[in-house]
Amino acid sequence: MRRFTLIAVPYLWLLALFLVPFLIVLKISLSDYALSIPPYAPTLDFSAGWQGIKDLMSKLDFENYVFLTEDALYWKAYLSSLKIALISTVLTLLVGYPIAYGMARAAPEWRPTLLMLVILPFWTSFLIRVYAWMGILASEGVLYQFLSFLGIVDEPLKILSTNTAVYIGIVYTYLPFMILPIYAALEKMDDSLIEAAEDLGCSRMSAFWLITIPLSKSGIIAGCFLVFIPTIGEFVIPSLLGGSDTLMIGKVLWEEFFSNRDWPVASAVAIILLLILVIPIVLFQRNQQLQREAEG
Amino acid sequence: MNQKVFAPWDDPNQKPLIQFQNVTKKFGTFTAIDDLSLDIYEREFFALLGPSGCGKTTMMRMLAGFETPTSGTIRLSGQDLGQTAPNKRAVNMMFQSYALFPHLSVWENIAFGLKRESTDKDAIAARVEEMLRLTRLGKFAKRKPHQISGGQRQRVALARSLAKSPKLLLLDEPLGALDKKLREETQFELMDIQEKTGTTFVIVTHDQEEAMTVASRVAVMDEGRLVQVATPADIYEAPNSVYVADFIGDVNIIEGNATPNGDRVRIDWAEGQPEIWGTAQKPVASGERISFAIRPEKVTISKEKPEDRRNLLEGEVIDIAYLGNISTFHVKVGNGQIIKAQSANTRRLANRDITWEDRVWLTFTETAGVLLEG
Repeated sequence: MRRFTLIAVPYLWLLALFLVPFLIVLKISLSDYALSIPPYAPTLDFSAGWQGIKDLMSKLDFENYVFLTEDALYWKAYLSSLKIALISTVLTLLVGYPIAYGMARAAPEWRPTLLMLVILPFWTSFLIRVYAWMGILASEGVLYQFLSFLGIVDEPLKILSTNTAVYIGIVYTYLPFMILPIYAALEKMDDSLIEAAEDLGCSRMSAFWLITIPLSKSGIIAGCFLVFIPTIGEFVIPSLLGGSDTLMIGKVLWEEFFSNRDWPVASAVAIILLLILVIPIVLFQRNQQLQREAEG
Repeated sequence: MNQKVFAPWDDPNQKPLIQFQNVTKKFGTFTAIDDLSLDIYEREFFALLGPSGCGKTTMMRMLAGFETPTSGTIRLSGQDLGQTAPNKRAVNMMFQSYALFPHLSVWENIAFGLKRESTDKDAIAARVEEMLRLTRLGKFAKRKPHQISGGQRQRVALARSLAKSPKLLLLDEPLGALDKKLREETQFELMDIQEKTGTTFVIVTHDQEEAMTVASRVAVMDEGRLVQVATPADIYEAPNSVYVADFIGDVNIIEGNATPNGDRVRIDWAEGQPEIWGTAQKPVASGERISFAIRPEKVTISKEKPEDRRNLLEGEVIDIAYLGNISTFHVKVGNGQIIKAQSANTRRLANRDITWEDRVWLTFTETAGVLLEG
């Protein structure tokens, strides 16, 4: 009985905060647009009891999903989101790995400080930090003033409102999520493994490829998923830093919901996005599981 | 037919495999190795023995190439190792932590070094199989390091470091992580493998018993210097200093004034106590302050006063350490000094005739102890 209660808590939590909202969104996605409050039909008539549910079920259809396939905007937005997420994940890895490596190699007394510095940006609101980037990247912003002071550029920058700005924003925002798992993997690595590899004939470089990279693999995979998964649905960064040509599904969803007030189509977009995300999430869970087994 | 004794260090025609020439290593202001010179010969099983921080690990790391001497030279087969990188030396090391690659199987771990220098798959496979047979690991070839026991891991580490047939194999506390019983078995296995492969082994250890068991010669180190380099028997029977005598095994040290008398030396060591007679290994000046070192097992203990013995001390049993096979008696003699005497427990414990607070007699021969300076 006690065991049951213990397990029941997380399941109730999931039920209330994930499954119920999911079912509501699913239901809206199968409804029709209506000029009313709420802006969709049909609605569930609780007073009608069982008959009400039956009536509701008969009126639901997949019209909105069909619509998503007809308009090129949507699948283009999905693909573009995937592309941006993929590229930013690779960029974050390229920036994050050397930082994590440097931290893991630093003297032990420095490591807590370095770790603190990586987490420090979280003390400021995410939104404020993205706004700060607008100020930095603006055509005559801080970056421009600095570069023109150095004499590197002489005309205003064209970074803000382009995909470049979106990449900069995503890499900056998600960098800690990449650094922390890689650092955790590298930090527990025994230094004598590298010495053993060198002793057995490896150069520094090949020891890095043959030992360090494989041993930090689980950290790399975890970091990549932690960046990739939220980036696909990212909305704030592309809408603040990106331009009109930055197509991301999060932005499309927002516009459907708030500008067009077409809740059913917006819900359908969200459901498809969720289905797309399920694949990497399952893969991520598998990676964590395998890692636990390898360590066990 | 006489079996030839393995003692290349006594043969002036032998060329040493490794030569340390006035090697000094400093870390900042700390001197880890202090102007040290040493020759190690081919096929030797050489032990570096000393307390932690004595510089033995630094010496090993300099041989492997992980540290470079601050001054002096290290030669391998006559060639200056100088700044040669670790991956370019015909030297392999077995790490204290074993440093097995956790993502590779036993087979791949052993093949790792071979793959770096050759692409001949058949030759690599043959060599790995040979190593697996030598270390009796055949059954575990496909397992990962975390799926085998500590003793098996130790053998994988040994197989991996031997696979490239190095001229010199370095072993850093190779048995430190094993329990006592397994350690003793493995010591003999190591000696066996060393003999079979003919590789020169240099072992670092702080366990004197281990060094005595496996090594052809032992170097006792202290504060970056070699105190004595000799065969295990010489180190034990003829230590050259109080430090060595005290570090290796158990010893009684009796300080006194020497008076040479023929080939014997009389030692007056305490008021009212009978003098001790020892044998000088080298000339002693009359009145010189010396230490007389004698091992507990060379001191005979008895309840009856033996007749006609020159070295005879009377005392009282203070403590008895019963170790199963032997017992160590702590005997307080006249001036309050404790002298340890050991005797084999040939009879059952219940029949032991000496017990606490007994008056006993300690005797030893004139050649049983050694005279040491200071």
